[in-house]
Amino acid sequence: MVTDSPVHSSSSEDFAAFLDVELDSKSSGSSSNAEKAGNEHHSDSVASSSPDEEEAEDDDSELENKRVKRSKVETAEIVEDDRGATSIASLEQNSKASSSKEICTHPGSFGTMCIVCGKMLDEESGVTFGYIHKGLRLGNDEIVRLRNTDIKNLLCHKKLYLILDLDHTLLNSTQLMHMTPDEEYLKSQTDSLQDVSKGSLFMLSFMHMMTKLRPFVRTFLKEASQMFEMYIYTMGDRAYALEMAKLLDPGREYFNAKVISRDDGTQRHQKGLDVVLGQESAVLILDDTENAWMKHKDNLILMERYHFFASSCHQFGFNCKSLSELKSDENESEGALASILKVLRKIHHIFFEESEENLEGRDVRQVLKTVRKDVLEGCKIVFSRVFPTQFPADNHHLWRMAEQLGATCSTELDTSVTHVVSKDAGTEKSRWALKHNKFLVHPGWIEATNYFWQKQPEESFSVNQTKNE
Amino acid sequence: MQLHPRFFGRNLRENIVSKLMKDVEGTCSGRHGFVVAITGIENIGKGLIRDGTGFVTFPVKYQCVVFRPFKGEILEAVVTMVNKMGFFAEAGPVQIFVSNHLIPDDMEFQSGDMPNYTTSDGSVKIQKDSEVRLKIIGTRVDATEIFCIGTIKDDFLGVINDPANA
Ligand SMILES: [Mg+2]
Ligand SMILES: [Zn+2]
Repeated sequence: MVTDSPVHSSSSEDFAAFLDVELDSKSSGSSSNAEKAGNEHHSDSVASSSPDEEEAEDDDSELENKRVKRSKVETAEIVEDDRGATSIASLEQNSKASSSKEICTHPGSFGTMCIVCGKMLDEESGVTFGYIHKGLRLGNDEIVRLRNTDIKNLLCHKKLYLILDLDHTLLNSTQLMHMTPDEEYLKSQTDSLQDVSKGSLFMLSFMHMMTKLRPFVRTFLKEASQMFEMYIYTMGDRAYALEMAKLLDPGREYFNAKVISRDDGTQRHQKGLDVVLGQESAVLILDDTENAWMKHKDNLILMERYHFFASSCHQFGFNCKSLSELKSDENESEGALASILKVLRKIHHIFFEESEENLEGRDVRQVLKTVRKDVLEGCKIVFSRVFPTQFPADNHHLWRMAEQLGATCSTELDTSVTHVVSKDAGTEKSRWALKHNKFLVHPGWIEATNYFWQKQPEESFSVNQTKNE
Repeated sequence: MQLHPRFFGRNLRENIVSKLMKDVEGTCSGRHGFVVAITGIENIGKGLIRDGTGFVTFPVKYQCVVFRPFKGEILEAVVTMVNKMGFFAEAGPVQIFVSNHLIPDDMEFQSGDMPNYTTSDGSVKIQKDSEVRLKIIGTRVDATEIFCIGTIKDDFLGVINDPANA
């Protein structure tokens, strides 16, 4: 028996451990109930307080084999080949052979064990879902299966998925050390952490941070949760993400086990829907960073950045005073979140408005496109000195943005033109616009229209104004 | 058991025992499982002085109650999280996952603020804080944690106490 053993050197300590295990397994061979005994009393020999971890691992796999043996003994009638009792090596082969009989596809794992058959899996495959529970992984087929069953359930409840970014979308955070003298006053105005449900400015001294929730965010989440199953997806780390989730969702109604952080992504600097258990055709994303979603731009509603703190403005190269320094804030009822909520309502309504038939065949990305195309419907836009001369105009992001919003873009002036977009009131086309009573607007007009999903008042973007530069 | 010289003296034995309890109780050993409580000291061997530090290592043989779930064992556990993949439950230090493959087919997942698995007639419901009886079909004991795969797809398994009806 001992010569067969693949374990350890001749150290007497290890040998003692081996005997220990062997004794244990012999006693269990006689009765399957002996397993229970292991739970009650066990003598342990510890040689020093720093037990060798590797040794423990070895012993564990040994136990594992032994357990296979036990279960074999229990089912001795079924398993005809019982030579395993004499050699650990052959036991291992047996266990593999018997697993192939059961044909489990091992759809996922928890603590490296198959979630269906409980077998220890050698290889880790599939995608980690650490944000749901530590040690959980799912294979691709299982993800597809879960998405398929989930979407049915969700559509029955007239809901879609909504993925929400944190920073600059739902809130703004700053390091305390980056606060400017003009922001010092905030430190005396923070809301209590005891009941965060009413507050919007929080000092998180243990993280050396201050966080400001975007105006309207609580109403937004409440209303959106009626139409969507919501996830948080941030490039911040998990500790930060969970802390923010607590502020946004103190009752844990919205984001329970649906907080995805950069620790969970499968690609660096990218956000992906592969870790989201939702079908892509039913997912909308709110994020201020378009580049994070290279593969899912059709799902994305780009958010205007919320810069409350000075550090945030500086980080993005704005040299103006921040909202905090001006003791001001975004408008609660007409700000970005309120506008986007209207858009979400519209999309949700269109998606579900027709008969209940073929809900699964619908694609929210198409709806998003259609709704976007309504925004500048009927506008004909000519750009003047917005693009570099040699630049292919129809490739410029403003040109494409205007087209996605439903406008027609042209390089030629004629009577059907409604808007001339320029930074300079002195260009030939700009002067033509003024002469023919057409709108002359700053390029910021298109960007703002894009953020708010609504044609912005042209007067606020007249070319003489420098406000929006 | 490694001890600082300041613990030496008349109370050496007590000091060793109390340090052993502090260090070992509540921890997990891959070989034996979760150490619940030390019940007795068999013997304490000769100390070995560590060069340079003055620390002394004593070999201690002790008995303890350990908790280690085994394959095939029936356990009662409290549900900690329910989602579309199944549910997670805890039995003391043990983390158990019951995937929806191993939940009876007549129980269906319901999403919402209180996600749950419910039978079509609504008579049985598994949600957070429900107590369930489950069968262990796989275990993995780590240095610090015990993971288990469980099933409730068998006779006499499932909810034993539903907080919603309590
Ligand atoms: Mg962001
Ligand atoms: Zn399996």
